[in-house]
Amino acid sequence: MRFDAAAYLGEWPFFELRGTVAALRRSMVRTQVTHALVSPLQGFFQADPTPANAKLLRALAGHGNLYAAPILNPKMANWEQQLAEVAGNPQVRAVRLAPGFHGYACEAAGALAEAAGARRRPVIVQTKFQDRRNHPPLANMPEVPIGEALDLAASLPAVRFVLAAMHRAELTGAGARIAALPNVWMDMSHLDGLACVRQAAEAVGFERVLLGTCWPFFYATSALLKVSEAQLPRREQGAILGGNARRLFRIR
Amino acid sequence: MIIDFHAHPGYAHELAAQRQEVAAILQEAAFHGVAWVCLSSLADWSASPTPEAVRTGNDAVLALVAEHPDHLIPFCYVNPVHTGAALEELDRCVAAGAAGVKLWIACKLDEECVRPVLDRAAGLRLPVLQHCSNRPPREHTTPADAAAAAARHPETQIVLAHSAFFGDEGFAEIAPYANVHADFAGSEPEALLVERGVRWLGAERVLFGTDTPIRSFGSSLGRAYEAKLSARERALILGGNAQRLLGRSFAR
Repeated sequence: MRFDAAAYLGEWPFFELRGTVAALRRSMVRTQVTHALVSPLQGFFQADPTPANAKLLRALAGHGNLYAAPILNPKMANWEQQLAEVAGNPQVRAVRLAPGFHGYACEAAGALAEAAGARRRPVIVQTKFQDRRNHPPLANMPEVPIGEALDLAASLPAVRFVLAAMHRAELTGAGARIAALPNVWMDMSHLDGLACVRQAAEAVGFERVLLGTCWPFFYATSALLKVSEAQLPRREQGAILGGNARRLFRIR
Repeated sequence: MIIDFHAHPGYAHELAAQRQEVAAILQEAAFHGVAWVCLSSLADWSASPTPEAVRTGNDAVLALVAEHPDHLIPFCYVNPVHTGAALEELDRCVAAGAAGVKLWIACKLDEECVRPVLDRAAGLRLPVLQHCSNRPPREHTTPADAAAAAARHPETQIVLAHSAFFGDEGFAEIAPYANVHADFAGSEPEALLVERGVRWLGAERVLFGTDTPIRSFGSSLGRAYEAKLSARERALILGGNAQRLLGRSFAR
């Protein structure tokens, strides 16, 4: 099993990019990815992500190997209702938070994260998305301090968290803390640099690293090559490529 | 034949540490079938290094290349602010085998102090790899600066690094100048960048590069492999263009 824990559908507003289910499936065939957890790109940009989530779930319906991670915003007064609605769908295996896009500190998501955990849904915290040097002038999205996200995870030990889009440099300060928090995983979508995946596996433990392509925003092949170049033992590579995600997201 | 047009021996100043870094670089290169790596120093990583620091950095690169003559191609880093010293250093490094010139952030490519360096590079038939970005605060060479320099030095082959940091605006600025090329090193693997570069410049003016060890080989190669290109275009980008600019064949 190869499980992509960071795939997206929808459009990116700042250049011609459109992720459709058909294109995702073609990308998965090309990269031999068998399963994917998908979030809606528009959910980052809309304060109320409900329509984007609904569109995502409609697109994924009937695709047994595609799972959903709707984006939720704790600043929406009806977030509990939104969570209840998406959690009722068996394809929803996690929820994604985007504090940088929606403008809140991680601690403000405590109640939402706890509620998601109670519904056995891991909480993905999007720490960044696009390289901030490339942010459009009118849309500068602040990055989420990894420490803030880890404080949230530490305060809710029963909730499973995924830190999405960490940079390699952030491993230096946060790696040991992630390793010490058994309820935290990270995707490798934004890791880069020589031997970056090996470095992550050594810093946090290979059991905590998830394949993430960030398709269609990134070339998906890059993520697969980053994992392969780590030249990890077969068991560790298999865990990163899919085994860890299978257990975390309860995929049969 | 894959040639990485853009690599550095790491952040360390000591040759022993750089030797370790280069060994890791070459291991990852070999894993991916990258036959040659163009290596350039950035001296002591200060913005405008002294001639002594530049010389020390180049000495390290030349020593490393001497240890791996079948895998590394030396580029000579110079600081044009010290014009006379830069020209002397260029001659010295070329006599020792340097096949290209590296310029970084000491000044902008269109400044007067750079002109003798660009003329000398043309006379020696060496390509010039120039760090480039048009992102605020625009204190480094921008594509517009490069276009102005290219118009003044039509015989000098200029490769602008980091095309993710100038994108379509930059491609459009350099497109009219056939002696300006672009690499896609040193950025996240944002989708469609390679295709956009080819659309603006043609495949003959786009080069594969990593900026390793800051970036991984897999991250950069994934773009070249996944981009929608013909086999001919992909071969040019991965190594054909580099061979042409370096003025020799690197067949094994």
